[in-house]
Amino acid sequence: MSIGKTLKRIIAAILVLSMMMALTACGGGKEQGSNQENNTSEGEKTKLVVVNWKDYGSDDPRVIKYFEQQYNCEIVHEYMASEEELLTKLRTGGLGKYDVVLPNASILPVAIDEGLFEEVDTSKLENYQYIFDKFSTLPENKKDGKIYAVPWVWGSTAIAYNNELVDEEIDSINVLWDEKYKGMIAFRDDFNDAIMTAAIALGQDPSNPSDLNAIKQKLIEQKPLNRTYWKTGDEWSKLFANKQIAVGMMWSGQAATMKKAGEPVTFVVPKEGAIGWVDYWGVVKDAPNKDMAYKFIDYMISKEFQLQWTVSGGPAPVNSEAVNALDKETINEMNIGEDSLNKLYFIEYHGEDVKKQWNELWQEVKAQ
Amino acid sequence: MKKKVLLMSPAMFILFAFAIVPLFIMLYYSFLSDSAVAKFTLENYINFFSKGFYLKLTWKTIKMSIIVTLICIVIAYPMAYIMAKVIEKGKNLILLLIIIPFWTSQLVRAYSWLVFLRDGGVLAQFLNKIGLIATTDMGILFTSKAAIIALVHIFFPYMVITIYMALEKLDNSVIEASKSLGAKPIETFRRIILPLSRPGIITGAILVFVPCLGSFVEPRILGGVNGSVIGTVIEDQFFEIFGWNFGSAIAFILLAMVLLSMGGMSLLLNKEK
Repeated sequence: MSIGKTLKRIIAAILVLSMMMALTACGGGKEQGSNQENNTSEGEKTKLVVVNWKDYGSDDPRVIKYFEQQYNCEIVHEYMASEEELLTKLRTGGLGKYDVVLPNASILPVAIDEGLFEEVDTSKLENYQYIFDKFSTLPENKKDGKIYAVPWVWGSTAIAYNNELVDEEIDSINVLWDEKYKGMIAFRDDFNDAIMTAAIALGQDPSNPSDLNAIKQKLIEQKPLNRTYWKTGDEWSKLFANKQIAVGMMWSGQAATMKKAGEPVTFVVPKEGAIGWVDYWGVVKDAPNKDMAYKFIDYMISKEFQLQWTVSGGPAPVNSEAVNALDKETINEMNIGEDSLNKLYFIEYHGEDVKKQWNELWQEVKAQ
Repeated sequence: MKKKVLLMSPAMFILFAFAIVPLFIMLYYSFLSDSAVAKFTLENYINFFSKGFYLKLTWKTIKMSIIVTLICIVIAYPMAYIMAKVIEKGKNLILLLIIIPFWTSQLVRAYSWLVFLRDGGVLAQFLNKIGLIATTDMGILFTSKAAIIALVHIFFPYMVITIYMALEKLDNSVIEASKSLGAKPIETFRRIILPLSRPGIITGAILVFVPCLGSFVEPRILGGVNGSVIGTVIEDQFFEIFGWNFGSAIAFILLAMVLLSMGGMSLLLNKEK
């Protein structure tokens, strides 16, 4: 056997070995991680495990510090990247591990059906009485008349425009179909937003549209008026800043942030209505610290927390006391008053078939 | 010999475990129904072919990919020829310059085009300054032209490199013989250089055309309201509605088209031989 051959054999052996080591190293790392987790859970303080989006109110260091001192506990956050991920977390080992999580309408009915949430005893929540009436009529957090999740914050997808480029007061959703703004409009590339918006413009029920064909025609009619469809908030901001668009669909939260940054943006919930969303807190089935979970949710919907978050750029509060603490002008400007709220059509849960149908309709519009 | 073949095993293992196996998993998905209890079905494929607009989008995607491929050939050929046959020094530098854009992410490059092509953007202002356009509006961004420009930019290096390699192999004495026998430069090019470099062009065309068919980032970001291509439909299936089954079916229809076009092109190649 030549030296060359031996060398090659050694190299092959090294390659195979290093691959095996890489594989085992991954496995080992995981094990160590979970060991550490177990160690910290043996602390003497009550540990409250919260699942939420990153940088979304509850993980503000000041909020955590205040709550931990008040109730002598420890808050641990775990983050989710999508609603689907939260559902997966709950289905695969989340019960008995998490205390409080933040679902929305896209997964709540499924999760409640599967028994992933505890029923909420609202009498244990002092601040529950201050929540706007509108939220008590939403179907997503209820089953058989029982409540399974507490509304926390809300917002809308409505109309925003550049008040330097538009010299009229816009109050109708039909501005998105206005030839006057041809080439200066930005509609959203999202099947749910698109179909609900067209349904609102046509006077159909946005949650259960009666005539999908008319909606398709309405969207096709709207298509050539756009500069472009937008997908991410960042795209919208750039188009707006470069004056490439004058008016478009926009989220209440981002419009507020842009206004704070000094952009000439005006946000309106049109008279025909707009799309609304709600984030809910739910107590996970078999939560290790149910009492603390109630205290946490009660604090999250309290006037002091909600007011503080709203004025520092957070979404709209469900607590009516928090809204009433602000002056009229601010309430109107931020579109967080009860009149704005009552104009909204909240995104409802739809089954796979409806989602498929809506998505296909939107693909067809885009393919025209 | 046998032992040398064993050296391929790590690469084969990676290819098998992370490319072939997932491919078959996706193929399996593409035959599943969306019902609660998944069953074997042809529904996903039937749905694709029964809706006119999916076929329309497929044709649009093919057309776009052909245009991108042709533009790539036109701009890559002279460059490759000059690198292979005209200049002596600096070839490596030019090759390096061609390869450098590969080191930035595709998304970053798409966003750079967004800044560069927009009305009132860098290019529009420059063209306006030198008097080529009257206003600073070009109207290119958010049309399919913008998507094509970005795709050409991303894929033309493959074309340059494959044509360059074909021309580099081409024996200079053949060209000289043609000249000394009295052929004009155009005739030399048409009858000697072009046929001999055709394998490079065809390989390059495959490397450009195939990924172009599946592209979705550039059409989505730069194509505006008409930016829908078959790639964006697949993307929406996976990310918007978790429609893995239908998404996989479209992906496999695309794969079948790719295999067919590659088969066609390799027939062309074999004919040369």
